[in-house]
Parts: sequence; C-alpha cells; structure tokens
Amino acid sequence: MRVLDLKRVIQTSHLEIRGDGKAGGGLLLAFQSLADLLAQDPGIHVQEWPFFSSARRGASIRSFMRVSRRPITAACEVTRPDVAILMNESAARTWDFAEGVQPGGTYILNTGRTPEQCALHYRLSGRVITVPGDDVGREHLKHAIGNVSVYVAAAQVVADQPLETIFESFMHTLEKRHVPKRILESNRAALEATVPLIRSGVFDAAAPGAHTAPPFEGYGELPVGAQTALRLSRTNRTADYAPSGIRLRFEDPADACTGCAHCIHNCPEGIILFQPDEERGLKVVGVEVSTFCKLCGECIAVCPEKLFKEVPFEEHWAEEEEVSLT
Amino acid sequence: MSTIERPVLPLAHEPTPSGEIYPDAIDLERVRAAHVDQFTQREQVTVDGNTAAALAVLQMWRCLIYPGFPITPSTKWIETIASKIADEPRTKKKVKLLEAEHAVADYLVGAAAACRDLIFSTATSSVGLDHMTETTRSLGASGLGNVMLIDVYRATANFPLCIEGDPSDTLAHRDDGFIQICTRGKQQIYDTILQAPCLGMHPEVLTPTMPGYYGIKDSHRSARLTVEADKAIHAFQDGWIQPCPLPGLINGDTAFGNCVTSKHFQGFKLSQRRRMENVLRVLPAVGADFEKHFGRPGLAFFDEVGWPEHGSVDIAVVGMGPDFGTFEALRESFEQYAGLQVAGLAMRLLTPFPSEAVRRRLEKAQVVLVVNQAHHYGRGHLTLDVVDALSTLPHPPRVVSAFAGLGGADVSEATWERMLEQARAGEDGRHVEPAAFFHEGRPL
Repeated sequence: MRVLDLKRVIQTSHLEIRGDGKAGGGLLLAFQSLADLLAQDPGIHVQEWPFFSSARRGASIRSFMRVSRRPITAACEVTRPDVAILMNESAARTWDFAEGVQPGGTYILNTGRTPEQCALHYRLSGRVITVPGDDVGREHLKHAIGNVSVYVAAAQVVADQPLETIFESFMHTLEKRHVPKRILESNRAALEATVPLIRSGVFDAAAPGAHTAPPFEGYGELPVGAQTALRLSRTNRTADYAPSGIRLRFEDPADACTGCAHCIHNCPEGIILFQPDEERGLKVVGVEVSTFCKLCGECIAVCPEKLFKEVPFEEHWAEEEEVSLT
Repeated sequence: MSTIERPVLPLAHEPTPSGEIYPDAIDLERVRAAHVDQFTQREQVTVDGNTAAALAVLQMWRCLIYPGFPITPSTKWIETIASKIADEPRTKKKVKLLEAEHAVADYLVGAAAACRDLIFSTATSSVGLDHMTETTRSLGASGLGNVMLIDVYRATANFPLCIEGDPSDTLAHRDDGFIQICTRGKQQIYDTILQAPCLGMHPEVLTPTMPGYYGIKDSHRSARLTVEADKAIHAFQDGWIQPCPLPGLINGDTAFGNCVTSKHFQGFKLSQRRRMENVLRVLPAVGADFEKHFGRPGLAFFDEVGWPEHGSVDIAVVGMGPDFGTFEALRESFEQYAGLQVAGLAMRLLTPFPSEAVRRRLEKAQVVLVVNQAHHYGRGHLTLDVVDALSTLPHPPRVVSAFAGLGGADVSEATWERMLEQARAGEDGRHVEPAAFFHEGRPL
C-alpha cells in the first residue's frame, strides 16, 4: 500500500474530499474555510458544497470538495474520496465514512482516540489523522465543536501553506460572518491549541474490498405520498441526531422532583421514566437516553429543580479492539 | 445574426392620452449618485451561488429595494443582501421583508409599476414561486421588464418534501410570461443576473425575467467568482437600459391591469407573445455586448460542448444545470471507449425556447439524448421542446429521453455513462423506452 501524495494529486488530477458530520456540528464551516484557504492560490480551482436535508440540527450531513490545478466541471457527488473526514463520530453510525476510499487514502477524525484505535475500529488502510477537536472546542469555545481542529488537520495535509496562513485564512472566514471579536480570539486560541494535539499514523487494517459502496438496488416499495406512522421515531434512532460527545443525565440525589410533570409533557420522544408517588402524584426516576434522546434540551429548560443536565460522553464502540498493529 | 442594437437615445416618457406626466417624481440621477460601490475594481472572491446572485443585484444602481421572503434554498440571497446593507451606513438600499411570497410578488408589481426605470428583484424557490402564481401571471403580462424574479430551483412535488435542486418549479411556470434563463456555476449566475434586466427592459421586449439556478447543487456550492467594478457594470447596463417608453405610475397618470372583454383579450396575448419572441433577437446582442465589455461569454441560448465544425455527431446530449458538467468531464473518455462522436448542449434560455437555434445545432446528429430533471408524466419538458424543434426537419434525428436527478438526486458518472449507453442503443436502431429513469448507473 502506498500512501497517496495529496498535494501531487492536486497538481496532476482532481483531489476529492468528503466529510461526514451532524447538522450544527461545524462541518460546513470547516469545508468552507478550507475552500477559502485553497482558493488563495490563484492557480487552484476549488469546488465545495454540502448535502443536507430539511431535517433538524443533529441530522447527518455531508460535505464535498474538489481541488485541482485544472478547471473542474464535474458536479456529481464525491464517491471515491482521496480524503475522508469524520467530524462527528455518531455520524459513522449512519454512513460508512470511509466508503469508496482507496487503500492509501487519508482519513481525518475528530476524536480523542488514537490513530491506531481508529484504524482498527473502522478498518482503515492509509494515513489516519486524529485530533480531539471536541475537547479543544470545550476548552476554548465552551462547546464540543471540533471544526476548528479538523480544519487545521485537513489544511496541513492538503494546502501548501504555512501555519500562520492557515490560521489567518480561518479568522478571515469568521470575520466575513461578523463573528464578535471575543469569539474570534477564542477561535484563534483553539487554532493554536490544535497543532500539538494532531496525531498521525499509517496503517493497513482494511480487508480487501472493505468500504466498497453497495450497489444501488432500486427504491423498493415506498409509502404512497410518503405517508408514515406519526411516531416515526419508534423505528428511527433519533438519538443519532444528538451531537456526539455529550449525553443527557437525570440526577436527583436529594429527591427534589416535585412531580410537576413538565418534563414528561414536553419531551417529544416520551422517554422520561416515572413512577406513581403518593405524596407528589408521580416522581421522575430517570430518562432512557440511548435510543431516542436527541438532546433537544426541553427537559433541561422546563425542570424547576434543574435535575436534567448534559454531561460529557465518549462514543461507545460495540467491540473494543486490542491495539496490536505492526 | 441579430441586427438588434442598443436602444437609440433619446427615449423619454411621454404623457398618456388621458393624463399628465410628472418627470421629476423620481430623480434617477439622485438614485445613481446615492449608489455605494460594492467593488471598485475587478476582483476574485470565493462565494456560493446565492451570494453571487446577491452581489450582482447589489451592484446595480437601479436596484434600490429588495422585497423578499425566505425559503430554502434561496434564503441566503436575501440574508446576504440584508447583511451587506447593514454593513454600509451610507447606502440608501433597503430590504423589505414581507409576510409571504404572494405579498412579495404584489410588492414587485406595485414598485416596478411605480417606477419602470428602477429594477426590482427577489429570489424564491419551489412552493414559494407557486405561492406567487396569481401575481406572476399578471407580472408576465404586465410589460414590467424591470422585475427580475430569481428562482433557486427546488422540487415542487412537495409530498414528500425535498429541498434540493430540481427545476420542476421553473418548468411549472413556463407560461407565466417570464423570460426564463437557466444558469450553472457561480460565474454564469452572476453574469446572467447582470444582463437579465438589459434584456427584460429592452423596449422591444418589456417582459420580466426569471434567471434561475439549481438549489444546493449551485446555490450552496462555493467556487471562485470574478466580480466586476460597479462602475463597469453601470456603464454596461446604462448602454442598454434607457427611460422606459411607458410612464410609471408615479410619473404618469396611468392605470394598470385594466379589465377588457374577449374582443381585445387575444390581442393583448398576441402582443405579449410578440414581445417574448423578440427575446430571440435581443438576447444574443446583449450577450455579445457583455462579452465585449468583460471578456467572458455573455447570454446565449445554450452552452455548446464538443461540436465539430461540420456539426455531424453520433450522439448529441441536451441537458441543463450543473450536472451537465459531469457529462462534460467524461465526454471525451466515452467517445474513446465507444468510438463515437459525442457533443452536448446545456440549455440556458428555457422560455422562449430557442427552437430554431436548437434545430440548426441538432439537425446533423444521429441521435439526441435529452436528460430531464423534473417530474413529468410524458417524455419530459425538455424532450417535448426538443422534439418540437426538430419536427420540421424532413428526417429528424431519433430522440432518446431520459430522466435523472429528480429532487436534486446525484447524477453520477455511472448514471451519465448508462444514459449514454441508452442513446447508443438508439443510435444502433435498437428499441429504447420512450422515457426511462436512471440512477446510480442503472435504469429504474
């Protein structure tokens, strides 16, 4: 397996990049910033666009980019990317973020895990780059958003630019969006904090034929007029809409629940657990978060006793691999 | 070759038979003087399609008021304009956010009729355009060529809802009376919007324009764009846009949209049709002048790809929008693989359909593959126009009709190759379905 020289691909052909993430997770800004950076070279053609639907914040989204020294006319989606980016690990539950990447490609993941762990878990062959972007976001932007860090990691492997130019270009993109000065400074700090945290390694963990796109089998039988049962969520893991890195937690050590039931009435997914209580009528005892909680925040907003909160959460991998790559 | 020239000066408002004229009601020179430049020289920027369209209208001194109502995927157009206006305290330009799309269209009528020498533009999509329908039909017949309705294409088959690029909205409005121009790519979006008022406000045309581009695929796709200096744009537009020969409601004592009987209705429709037909003569002249000014191709009936001088090809592809670019990217490799000569037309002028130019371009093709991207119960909107254009030929080429990319679905290289195979079967004289759907490289 030979690792693809991305800068050479730009010179001789079309470099294709695809990113997977969640709406509101910063994927689009990372791609737009990367496009702005690359377009600083007047000899380079860049094309960047997103794929998303009318779904709400937290829905899976994709971004695409083509980069070349030649004019770009192709407008179809990128299906055989040279670089695959995973902005939110929970997006990988919806799609195979590495689909179509040939051995020797580059993978960039926003995760606290090591490149080795990721190569084994996702069965990746090529250069694997990890960056704990959500941690950087939490520290500098008060929010688990890893786009600043993913931008830096991607820019370093794709753009032939010094670090300071990479930083300045990002800041310029934010300035165009009228981001307040205080937040600009936080982003600048996040950019600088990212650099020493980027880790990289080359691995060959994909089985032959892995990540091959399954053939399109047609649309099958679809409901007339797209009519579906109202509680679509019962067949749809709405928890996948939640941002990765955090989860909802109910804690009531002082038995403070008043039984007001505001959380039960306001939860759109009906996942608040409660039991009868002689004194209060009912008492909330917990919340079932694993399948349907999309972290809408309704319960947090309405609970008069502040018994619901968001807590850090590490994405669960079904099977933990032993890291033993050679 | 068109003999159309720029309008000849002097053209001035004339009093109507019944009334007075108030030539100073709007002082155009003051409006021009109040314009604050967006760009003082040619520059390169990286923007998406909505921003390219917003910049173009912001740079026109005649564009003062921007009525709008947001709808995905056109929302960023009005957001960009509002943001730029908010950033520039010296500007007199204003955004007028209205309660719904119908109100926007009504506002366009009132404002454009009040002063026919200013340009009034909005952007909408899908059911937003449908919601305007009562008024777009009136607009189309109004002679208000100073109205520019930018349509960011999105499917109108709203059960189920889909927000992505599909020209079914613009194609459902073919007979509203607008000059409909399809664009692809940032530069074409920007350049077309700069030229559209020159066409619509031409005294022989006086018809509103509806430039459009594909939602998401172009509205949200960023790429490099060359923007021109505002002054250069003004010089170009001022060469074409002269005082309207009809008085505006403010500077003339006129009524608008009067009721007539059947004795006259047909006459008005014939007159409307003749003005629309004049587009076929005026548009190439505007395009040629634009190219002279800015060095880039101007308005044209279609983009041509891969045509030999003699015009004889085995397969001619007719399509529209950004997906045509994927065909462009693989055309030569398919030619080598199949041993056939393949060329293509990406349609730009949709209404009026340039039948004669299409016929001349396609008459020596063995087979014509027409790629439709909007829901249609027949062989496709574009197919019907192409078949009609070819119908006067003694031996018209065989037309193979395909559908792909409905609802903005990806039209992959494999899909293009499969559609070209379909055309190849037609070229071989084999049976092909009158219209077939394709996705991910296979027929559906």
